[in-house]
Amino acid sequence: MQGGYVCLAFVSLRTDNGGSSGRGTEQAVTNINHKTYAMNAITPMKWWKTWIVRVFFVILGTIKPLQKDLVQLSFIHFARWVIIKRRSFPHVVPGQPKEELKYDYLLFFSNFNGTWNQYIDAFSAVLSRGLNAIWRWSEKFPGSVPVTPFKQYIAHCQFDTDYYYTAYPYATTNDVKAAHRVQAALEVLEKDSAGQSAEDFARSYLKFVLTVQSDLGETGKAPVGT
Amino acid sequence: MANQSGSVYGLTILSPICYDKTAETSHNCAIRMKLAAMPRDEFSPFAKVSSTHLARLVVMDDVVYVGAPSCEEHLKSQYLIFETNFDGDLDTYLSRMAREIPEEVDAVWQHCWGYPGVKNVDAFIAYMKKCQVTTTFFFADVNNKTVQQTLIALQTQAAVAEFVEHAQGLSPSELQKSFASFLVKLRGAPPPVPGRPGAGGPPRIETKMKWASKNLAASMAGGAQ
Amino acid sequence: MSKLDATDIQGFVLRGYGLPFARYMFLEIADVQRGRRFIGSLLGQITTGEHWDAGKPEWTLNIAFTHKGLVNLNLPDASLLTFPVEFIQGMKARGEILGDTGRNGPERWDAVWKDGRVDVWVAVNSKNKETLEERCADLIRLTSETGGAKLLGSQDAGAFLIDGQWSPKEHFGYTDGFGNPDFLGVKRNTQPGQGKLLSDGSWAPLATGELLLGYADEAGELPVAPVPHLLAINGSFMVYRKLHQNVATFRRYLEEKGTLYAGGKEKLAAKLIGRWRDGTPVELSPDAPDQQVVKDKQRNVNFTFGNDLNGARCPVGAHIRRTNPRDAFGFNGQLINRRRITRRGLPYGPYVPESEPARDDGEHGIIFMALNASLFRQFEFVQQQWVEYGNDARLGNDKDMLMGNHEGHDRYTIQGSEDPRNPPFVCGDLPNFVELRGGDYFFLPSMTALRMIVAGTVDPR
Repeated sequence: MQGGYVCLAFVSLRTDNGGSSGRGTEQAVTNINHKTYAMNAITPMKWWKTWIVRVFFVILGTIKPLQKDLVQLSFIHFARWVIIKRRSFPHVVPGQPKEELKYDYLLFFSNFNGTWNQYIDAFSAVLSRGLNAIWRWSEKFPGSVPVTPFKQYIAHCQFDTDYYYTAYPYATTNDVKAAHRVQAALEVLEKDSAGQSAEDFARSYLKFVLTVQSDLGETGKAPVGT
Repeated sequence: MANQSGSVYGLTILSPICYDKTAETSHNCAIRMKLAAMPRDEFSPFAKVSSTHLARLVVMDDVVYVGAPSCEEHLKSQYLIFETNFDGDLDTYLSRMAREIPEEVDAVWQHCWGYPGVKNVDAFIAYMKKCQVTTTFFFADVNNKTVQQTLIALQTQAAVAEFVEHAQGLSPSELQKSFASFLVKLRGAPPPVPGRPGAGGPPRIETKMKWASKNLAASMAGGAQ
Repeated sequence: MSKLDATDIQGFVLRGYGLPFARYMFLEIADVQRGRRFIGSLLGQITTGEHWDAGKPEWTLNIAFTHKGLVNLNLPDASLLTFPVEFIQGMKARGEILGDTGRNGPERWDAVWKDGRVDVWVAVNSKNKETLEERCADLIRLTSETGGAKLLGSQDAGAFLIDGQWSPKEHFGYTDGFGNPDFLGVKRNTQPGQGKLLSDGSWAPLATGELLLGYADEAGELPVAPVPHLLAINGSFMVYRKLHQNVATFRRYLEEKGTLYAGGKEKLAAKLIGRWRDGTPVELSPDAPDQQVVKDKQRNVNFTFGNDLNGARCPVGAHIRRTNPRDAFGFNGQLINRRRITRRGLPYGPYVPESEPARDDGEHGIIFMALNASLFRQFEFVQQQWVEYGNDARLGNDKDMLMGNHEGHDRYTIQGSEDPRNPPFVCGDLPNFVELRGGDYFFLPSMTALRMIVAGTVDPR
């Protein structure tokens, strides 16, 4: 029992302090590049359950409103799931040993903003049904609620990124979307204001500011351990 | 198509890593050492292949054992996972890798089974496609903007925020004039650099204490009135 | 759920006493035996959550410990190691997470906090100064009689007496004390808006485990707690922060920006926080303060931001919106429920009316104390992600206007509308209005746990 508690403490110390105590450069760990975290997870599935996950993803892909919660949470730049059937690990040349596996594997790659704990807390709180639909077919998945065993499972199945690059390290996906809105609004203003009188321009400009006024947050360094 | 979302392509490649029990440093360790030394900011090789939004390289040592009653099993090889999200089509991206960052690609992939090198671009592309696994489901929050468009938007956002702050209280004609010169400056700003921390725009206008009196500055330094 | 035994829980956790005088004493344990004897001598005086049949007592007393304090009281290792990591490390070590750097950094803290020797926090609240002095003198006498503890320092705090009345105002002129959350099982005069939002728009109390250890929290689990169960249950964690306020800077900033803002100075002040300085919530009354709303307990904390997502009434980055976003992040407020904290606090230092000149230097500010079951998940999260950062509110790196560690750079945007009295407005070059002068993390044990600590009978099994 005591070991369990210590393990829990270890997990949260490891992930949110980025494996260090928070001191040192913000690039000390390789799972994180400034504001984005590269999570990798692998879970085994009995081969005859894999098609269920595929069907779920087809539904998710076709019925766009199902994705709306994911979009609203707005934590993720890009994420993907990859099913690798047990006989489908890439085999490039005859000399390479062939894999002999019993399970299929579900790989998950996420590029998300926020801390590891925050990310999983949020998903467990509001997207548990979707998470369960994807992962309940993986061996020994404990369910996404309650959150602590779920975090322990993920921590166990997660493996570390060795190298991570982002073209916009100081921007979260929220920042990116806000920036695109500002860019679009500026282009509209530029077009509309061509040839306007000063008074008319002032009115157009006010309309512009009202459009972008919630999108002007600065970008910059990430909070420690993000 | 599963690998694509809008204009963004989600490439997942698993390259089996060689195992040579006579080597002093195993191949997977050699890859890790190479990756540890690779710059991650604007000097990253992926900044050169500038259509890359986000990319990662991961050495996957083994599958995971989740505990009884599951069976324990192991991979015969380790795999170098290359997960990248980029604009445009796959062939163009791979050929850019071969042409623009050949040394880095060689340094990492030379440790993998069947890697043909980058001199023959077609062979390289064929090899990478052989290692490609299809993405089952790809989610992209923003899937219709290129890297360059994103960087420019971020630059614009920072510049607009500056402008909005400092254009407060101007008369309509002053505002219009200011805005015109703001646009000129923004359009003329150096193109933002992928991978560089920062909005990549013109430096913050240093108006330190523009509104406040000297006293504010003095009190900021901790002095009394 | 099981009924709460309020007499086992320290009163400070369950209620704000509303007594105008306070002194917080910081002690170091001399040695285990005498330290236990000292605390044992206090046990009979500690104020619990018991119902006050005869109205407010003359004085109250409560006690809390840093992890170092518990180490010095010789709790078993297994207990010590199972406390949450952030509590073990203490607030000073968590500085980078909390933004306690630069002007908030430990180099500028009061010596008592910089030295890191505080083991025990003892708080005395009282109705008048004489009683306060008597009780504290008594306590000091006990420390020397038992030889159990050494006084490292103390901090006085107290409500302002304005026009002969005790006022809930703080140094910047804002009316404080709204919005502490409701918890299941905690008896209180409930007001709509304090609890968590349900999907039908009504409010319900938060899970007990968001405040007290040993009870289910909002995620349906028990919060991280030390072993054994009896040590943890009915206990809570407190963060204590001495926040110096740069009153002169604030007034000058407000004055200067107030002349530029079309709504005027008082409206600007309201837009910074989300409440007018008299306490009226901006969301309910964006154009003028309204004492009717302030005095109406059914309304003064009863609002949501769902119809104001663009911030035209209450700015997106306003202080109360940042620290309690309610439904602003969607999902019916579900993402907020595990991030609520209970605030107890009092200003310290003399009140300076608006008509008189104020200073930045000097001893004045607010003693901020917050209670929660998990410092990491509640206070630290709010501080790091919602006060010193803004991504969840879609505000990028922007910080809380009032509390943020700005260092002179940041800006605060007030969203507006087409109404010329409510224009969009940007406050730039933000100075640090508030500076941290020290503090730490404390554990407030239940009465049962206190007795076990005193008797040395904590058994982690």
